[in-house]
Amino acid sequence: MLKSKTFVKKTRKGGVLKVVREHYLRDDIWCGSAACGGCPQDRPVLEAEPEIDSTLCGFPHYLIPDTNVVLHQMDVLADSAIRNVIILQTVQQEVRHRSGTTYQRLRDQSNNADKHFYVFTNEHHRETYTEREQGESSNDYNDRVIRVATRWYNKHLQENRKDGDTPKVKVVLLTNDRENREKAQKEGLLAYTVHQYVKALKGNPELVDRLAQVDMGESTDSDIKNEATGRVLFPEHLPLSQLQTGIKSGRYLQGSFMASRENYLEANVLVHGDDSRSIFIQGHAHLNRAVNEDVVAIEMLPEDQWKCPSSMVLQDKDGDEETSEPDLGSPKGRSNAIPSGRVVGVIKRNWRPYCGVLQPSGIKEATRHLFMPAERKIPKIRIETRQAESLQGQRIVVSIDGWPRNSRYPKGHFVRKLGEVGDKDTENEVLLLEHDVPHQPFSQAVLNCLPSTPWGITKEDLACREDLRDIPICSVDPPGCTDIDDALHYVEKPNGNIEVGVHIADVTHFIRPNTALDQEAANRGNTVYLCDKRIDMVPELLSSNICSLRGKEERFAFSCIWEMTKDADIVSTRFCKSVICSKAALTYAEAQMMIDDKNRNDPVTVGLRGLNALAKILKKRRIDAGALTLASIEVRFHVDSETHDPIDLETKELRETNSMVEEFMLLANISVAKKILSDFPSCAMLRRHPQPPPSNYDILIKAGKSKGVDIETDTSKALAVSLDQATIPGHPYFNTLLRIISTRCMMQALYFCSGTLPESDYFHYGLATPIYTHFTSPIRRYSDIIVHRLLAVCINADKSYPDLLDKYKSQALCNNLNFRHKMAQYAGRASVELHTQLFFKNKVTEEEGFVLFVRKNAVQVLIPKFGFEGTIFLKSQDGRGEDSPFVFNEEESSQTAGEVKLRMFDRVVVQITVETSHIQHQKLRIRLVKPQVPGFTVPPVDTSNSAEPPVKKVKT
Amino acid sequence: MAGLEIISDQGYRIDGRRSSELRKVCARMGVFTQADGSAYIEQGNTKALATVYGPHEVRKGRGKIQHDRAVVNCQFSMATFSTGERKSRPKGDRRSQEMSMHLRQTFEAVIVTELFPRSQIDIYVQILQADGGNYCACVNAATLAVIDAGIPMKDYVCACTAGFIQDSPLLDISYVEESAGAPFLTVAMMPKSEQIVLLEMNSRLHADNMEKVLDLATQGCKDVFAVLDRHVRDHVSESHALMTAS
Amino acid sequence: MAVHITLPESRKKSAAPDAPKHLVTPGDVITTDTGYMRGHGTYMDDDKLKASLAGVVERVNKLICVQPLKTRYNGEIGDVVVGRVTEVGQRRWRVDVNSRLDAVLMLSAVNLPGGELRRRSAEDELMMREYLVEGDLISAEVQAIFHDGALSLHTRSLKYGKLAQGLMVQVSPSLVKRRKTHFHNLPCGASVILGNNGYVWICPTVDDEKVESSGGYEQDLEPVPSTDREVIARLRNCILSLATHKLMLYDTSVLYAYEASRQYQVKDLLQPDIAEKVADDTRQRLQMESG
Repeated sequence: MLKSKTFVKKTRKGGVLKVVREHYLRDDIWCGSAACGGCPQDRPVLEAEPEIDSTLCGFPHYLIPDTNVVLHQMDVLADSAIRNVIILQTVQQEVRHRSGTTYQRLRDQSNNADKHFYVFTNEHHRETYTEREQGESSNDYNDRVIRVATRWYNKHLQENRKDGDTPKVKVVLLTNDRENREKAQKEGLLAYTVHQYVKALKGNPELVDRLAQVDMGESTDSDIKNEATGRVLFPEHLPLSQLQTGIKSGRYLQGSFMASRENYLEANVLVHGDDSRSIFIQGHAHLNRAVNEDVVAIEMLPEDQWKCPSSMVLQDKDGDEETSEPDLGSPKGRSNAIPSGRVVGVIKRNWRPYCGVLQPSGIKEATRHLFMPAERKIPKIRIETRQAESLQGQRIVVSIDGWPRNSRYPKGHFVRKLGEVGDKDTENEVLLLEHDVPHQPFSQAVLNCLPSTPWGITKEDLACREDLRDIPICSVDPPGCTDIDDALHYVEKPNGNIEVGVHIADVTHFIRPNTALDQEAANRGNTVYLCDKRIDMVPELLSSNICSLRGKEERFAFSCIWEMTKDADIVSTRFCKSVICSKAALTYAEAQMMIDDKNRNDPVTVGLRGLNALAKILKKRRIDAGALTLASIEVRFHVDSETHDPIDLETKELRETNSMVEEFMLLANISVAKKILSDFPSCAMLRRHPQPPPSNYDILIKAGKSKGVDIETDTSKALAVSLDQATIPGHPYFNTLLRIISTRCMMQALYFCSGTLPESDYFHYGLATPIYTHFTSPIRRYSDIIVHRLLAVCINADKSYPDLLDKYKSQALCNNLNFRHKMAQYAGRASVELHTQLFFKNKVTEEEGFVLFVRKNAVQVLIPKFGFEGTIFLKSQDGRGEDSPFVFNEEESSQTAGEVKLRMFDRVVVQITVETSHIQHQKLRIRLVKPQVPGFTVPPVDTSNSAEPPVKKVKT
Repeated sequence: MAGLEIISDQGYRIDGRRSSELRKVCARMGVFTQADGSAYIEQGNTKALATVYGPHEVRKGRGKIQHDRAVVNCQFSMATFSTGERKSRPKGDRRSQEMSMHLRQTFEAVIVTELFPRSQIDIYVQILQADGGNYCACVNAATLAVIDAGIPMKDYVCACTAGFIQDSPLLDISYVEESAGAPFLTVAMMPKSEQIVLLEMNSRLHADNMEKVLDLATQGCKDVFAVLDRHVRDHVSESHALMTAS
Repeated sequence: MAVHITLPESRKKSAAPDAPKHLVTPGDVITTDTGYMRGHGTYMDDDKLKASLAGVVERVNKLICVQPLKTRYNGEIGDVVVGRVTEVGQRRWRVDVNSRLDAVLMLSAVNLPGGELRRRSAEDELMMREYLVEGDLISAEVQAIFHDGALSLHTRSLKYGKLAQGLMVQVSPSLVKRRKTHFHNLPCGASVILGNNGYVWICPTVDDEKVESSGGYEQDLEPVPSTDREVIARLRNCILSLATHKLMLYDTSVLYAYEASRQYQVKDLLQPDIAEKVADDTRQRLQMESG
């Protein structure tokens, strides 16, 4: 047994609490170097002869970076050129403390065997442990600790060389702190700044671009004054300690900073611990360098300085640093003002690498450039690069390093290049990266978990499963679907009741807990559907073959079988693992045809008719209970088979059969939810949909009023009824528009672990059911996999495992699934947007649209045919608007120009083009055609080429 | 990042131990002259003092007298200064009573009480400094004190905790690790005969992990035993040498 | 007030000179041979003879016992004990003798004033408190052992009886060496009763004639001169320092310790280092004489 030789106590005093912790020092921590003959280590991480070509250090050496270098220069360290790095425990802990994401990256590096990163536990090593001196600041102490470790390494490697002929390996300290460097050099250590070191590397010039621009983390005051431009644009951030005491005393509030998508000078801060509270922030100085998703501390402004959102769409204009803030309009009525505040400090940055393009610079040889992120919520970033020329027209990734007080924009550095702007693959990559969708091919470890092909059902499998192969089971899915995860059957029983079964692909038979495959799927969370691509959650062999319930093939299923009366009352429910053989894999249209075709009377058709009849009863019952029918427009692109460019699009059509399948899936989900909750009251994975706060409906009620329709929003039932009644003769689209607006009032539905919330919160508002879960799509959702496993344990078909029953781990998983789900939705929408753009390329189209929202300087228009909404700017962006004929009326939210008045739900005709003047940042441009406003609208285009886009029916 | 990293990627815990290492154990027997037996133990920063009186005549409450064996009476207490925050702890508080009860159960199982009908054995334990594993320190200290008192026991009783934190089993968890909120087992066992005397778990732990944690705790008890036994032998041979020398 | 603080004594590792003694700790298997008899400090488990105490194994023919370092007093018939009366009961006194159960002193086992062969009457039963009450110290001899292990005492000799002025010291019973006599009139001017049960009584020397006449139940309440008291205090400290350092107690060792201590003041003997010094000197002197 290894035991500490010496042992030292660490004492921390704070208040009256005295914490005494043990600190063992060991002499069995090895140096990790293959060049060392003294340490009895198994597999040394660091190479014996590290080779890196440098003019500065022309000898074999290891690197020891200090904390700030790791924090700010992770992109450099992550490069494959940098190898053989010793990460001290001191540095690692400090990094962990300051930035979770960087810490994660650092860990990835040390887990990557090719990088030869070694973590040296210096604080527990007998010879490198250093006691803090009295009065020594923690920074000085850390620096000293790092120097001590460096010195030890040098000495150790020198004394323990394996044999004479191996070269002497030295250790180089990388630190950008001048004082530390000087002290180190005085002690005879090799110490350089990262910049010196990287610039001296031969053969890796591109690394220089990745150097972060900030030398010392957040610049201090003195740094700013020293700079020639010495102009301070932002108030200072308060130090963390002050923020914490402020938050404790209630003077400041802590929250997540959510930048506005529409207006770069506005943001909301969601106060932590009080979900419904959101504080409004407006203006450069008040935003104070906070970036979207940062955790910030804010101070409330006195009530007389409260602002109201300008309801203006504002985008940051090109690089003019001198621009004063546009007049956001002082609110006329104080009544509109909402609680406002200002950012006093940033508690935690949540920066990530951002995708975007370089903004073209006027000067050719300039090295300083502005980078425009694809995400509108992120400010432009100033970077330095020498390869600007080759980066023009490319999608690139950039990281933020810091945001000094005298800089209008944050400073950052170039990370990597993705590809050409406008290229479909590049753009897909961009939107996957921006939405944090893991899309790398599956690793070998994951693929190793797959069953071997050809795969077949064995006797043992049959022995523990119910054999349902003779039952007329069929599946109904959208056309082109290859991952079929549900199938149905309908059989009349002799006693007059009906047996209905829902059969779900038994994915958990193949994805066993805690395998690489399982972990990968849990991380991915769900399958992401883009217009032209599917990012699978599980490898294709499973998703489209072995798990997919294809027609006429024997497959494993997890079945949920009810006995029902003819009136769709459930008599009994049972669950079992089974083997099925689907008689037919149908599309919605095919199924519909079979039902309608009176001449067909085969068991599948009869079953479908029976199911359809039951589904109607179920649906009616559900709607009576208050389930909402909401609308959103989904479109399908027809893609050219050769160029993969979209050539046509159609909105998805809904048939009776869609709703039939949906009803039974809902029923299965609810039945399963009840079962797993009764067996696992504290760790069942469920899905809830909270009722939105009443204020969310304001916009809907206002919209209704403008057309004289009252919308009741007290309960979901009342809302459903009033939405049903809200029709205006002669305006067939009005109802759909209202439903679209109400969709936006809703909260997000969320996965959660039953043990973490009171039972009253389990409610699913949209479906009006007290409990709900996801069971029916295990191929494309990980939540369903967990639910399958829980259910399998309930029916004794499988064993449980620790993480399944741990409510904290379950909840952590739920959080990831919720995040992935949201991101998948966004990515899907972004993909539609991208394809819409490609579709309109080189085209001028005129189309009917409806005004969805009226803003101060713009109207947002929904074009139902293409299912997207666009913004028509009525005034120039700075909001002064002298040149615009439109006058904004805030009370009735309308824009008037002479005779023409634009209000919500008004029908307009717009012209859609792709704005090509700005090749960097292509976007759709929408201009008003009808109603005509002289000097503003554009004339209708020649109808011959634009009313209908050229249609070429090519099915994919 | 929230919380402490209980165990690092390199396999070191906050205090520098590896996952299956005990804290440093220091023990002393015979610290009081007036008691029949006494012992003091330090397990890392957890420090406990145990004194044993008896077997002696049952003085108070004759009703407790057992005619076939001795009565074991245990009392657990924590010094006011034992934790970071000073707190007066009356002996009768629930936590102490529970501890006292557990101690009594443990020692009734190992002391050969049948040899002393109608008598009583008192075991008093006090925690002087608490840093996780209080019960274990008490059991270990009391074992030494009972041996010191020359009261026959079937075997030693050694106790040790093992937790399951961040997916790895950890031995002899300290206060910091205890407060991470993960489940942990307290095991008291007879190391030579490998019988478990007391097993307590503070929260739910999946059955699959149970075995790993229990194995580790068992190993921990044996490690504790090795240390205690060495100490007892030293103590006995030293004293014996002194006594025979004259 | 002057406070004397000593640092924790550094433990000297006395290189155990004769370690090969058969040492056992609880649970150790002594032998798997079934031919032995189970003695004190052992128990049988699965045909194995195991130790239940920590100590040295002793074999007497087929009997195996484990001798612990210290334990409560295990009485043997004929032992001289010093005890304290805890209870007055039906024709008996209960006496605490550092054993696991209180010893019994029957009314019939004491010498009552007025002659050895006097019949005990009911009157005597009522008079019991006149002779001995709770808290009184006595010296006695073990007469018999009851089946539950309790001792029966008697004081039917003029040596035994109630103890008057003096001082009692408690040490481990195993430190008291069994001798022919446990009553010692030390030349230094005090008497010592080294009870086999570990209770040691120190008192001013009394002349035997006086005892004879009082029958052992009269108390001499004359104040003891301070020189005698000092001697008694010094003896007490010497005995304690011997006990702390595990020296056997008998007349010679006590006397030697007393002599070794004379270069120090009585109160200084309480300091651990001086106490150790005294014990060491005594040990050396004893070894020199025996060896």
